[in-house]
Amino acid sequence: MAILEVNNIEKHFGATKVLEDISFSLAEGKALAIIGSSGSGKTTLLRCLNFLETPDQGTISVRGEVLFDAKVHTALNEEAIRQKRLHFGLVFQSFNLFPQYTALENVTLAVRLREKDKAQWPAIDKRGMELLDRMGLADRAGHYPHQLSGGQQQRVAIARALALSPDVLCFDEPTSALDPELTGEVLKVIRSLAQQNTTMIIVTHEMAFARDVADEVIFMDGGLIVEQGPAQEVIEHPKEERTKQFLSRYQEN
Amino acid sequence: MTFGAVTATLMTGMAVTLKLFFLTLLIALPLGLVVCLGTMSPFAPLRWLVKTVVWIVRGSPLMIQIMVIFYGPGLLFGWPLLPRFTAALVAFSVNYACYFAEIYRGGIQSIPAGQQEAGLVLGMTKSQIFFKVTLLQVIKRIVPPMGNEFITLVKDTSLVRVISVYELIWMGETYIRKGLIWPLFYTAVFYLIASGILTLWLGWFEKKLDYFQ
Repeated sequence: MAILEVNNIEKHFGATKVLEDISFSLAEGKALAIIGSSGSGKTTLLRCLNFLETPDQGTISVRGEVLFDAKVHTALNEEAIRQKRLHFGLVFQSFNLFPQYTALENVTLAVRLREKDKAQWPAIDKRGMELLDRMGLADRAGHYPHQLSGGQQQRVAIARALALSPDVLCFDEPTSALDPELTGEVLKVIRSLAQQNTTMIIVTHEMAFARDVADEVIFMDGGLIVEQGPAQEVIEHPKEERTKQFLSRYQEN
Repeated sequence: MTFGAVTATLMTGMAVTLKLFFLTLLIALPLGLVVCLGTMSPFAPLRWLVKTVVWIVRGSPLMIQIMVIFYGPGLLFGWPLLPRFTAALVAFSVNYACYFAEIYRGGIQSIPAGQQEAGLVLGMTKSQIFFKVTLLQVIKRIVPPMGNEFITLVKDTSLVRVISVYELIWMGETYIRKGLIWPLFYTAVFYLIASGILTLWLGWFEKKLDYFQ
């Protein structure tokens, strides 16, 4: 059964339509890559899933529960949205770590704030350390973000998103702000998450990575889903003319 | 006139000056945050009301504000006069709160939107984000402009002489009438010492926040 169902999402910024009739579903434990040129609406779609943007039309459901329905959304208060967005995690292109907290504190801050009983904090810290360890950063737990490389910062950000155990972990171009050397270490971490069957949506420009790691691929253009299907098939044998055009430019490089 | 006697006289003026300085900060620092939130309110009528108040307070001389608050209630409504020091404190607190508000606003708006968004997707409330994520970053950024205001405030306290609050310069000036100029230079030294201590303290504070960027 699909863990995530997105139906007929539509979003305007003023008069500009940035998402149109977006529908897809994602099975538990699968990774979905969203590819497409800049301005195709990929990031906006992720932001809609994380309630950073409000779609004008459509529904979003997780495990059969309707989290968002454009028809009734205005009735929701901030607190309700806050609970609903916890079904999703988001890793940003620019990391957005909190600069005044150490790597470990970045991972545990939001979890601690949700836990009234301070006796639980050591357990939260322990789990935070485990997550950093999984990211290969156990020895960096006490470092502040500015003392870490971009790749290390992004891995802390991934641990931070995982700390709240979201149903679906979203990545918004997680390696676009990194140089090629650092890109590898972040992709390796995401790859290992995929192997552990983490449900993920990854917006990326790394085509080879999308092909190898994702189960499904969606190609977006001009706010529309142009093509979707199994990752290898879409990337190696695209059916739509627009997809072929887009992918051929990557093969030239 | 002995040095010791002048020192003692100036000290009594200094006590008034310092009392006004610290009490103004105590009130204006939090009040400025309230004013700041007002100028950033999504509710337009409130925002414009607060912005108009800030414009009037920043756009007119502090000296007039001191006089209006001291004499105004009596002349307009026949109310009893506020104690002189209280009137001065009200004028200073409101005036500096408006300047602080603009510095706070600049600091808050300089924090990248990604910080707020990161907090939101982690399920934090708006107030948690403000107090646990944004505030310390804002404080770090506003230390230099706030330092300017603090030092200006030390010297601005001399304006309260217009409603006969006997602050430091008032005390120094009494010696001019006796034909002595050196106590006036000595008065300036008091200000230099006060601003010197402030500068050192602000530098120390800035260093304390050096651990993050």
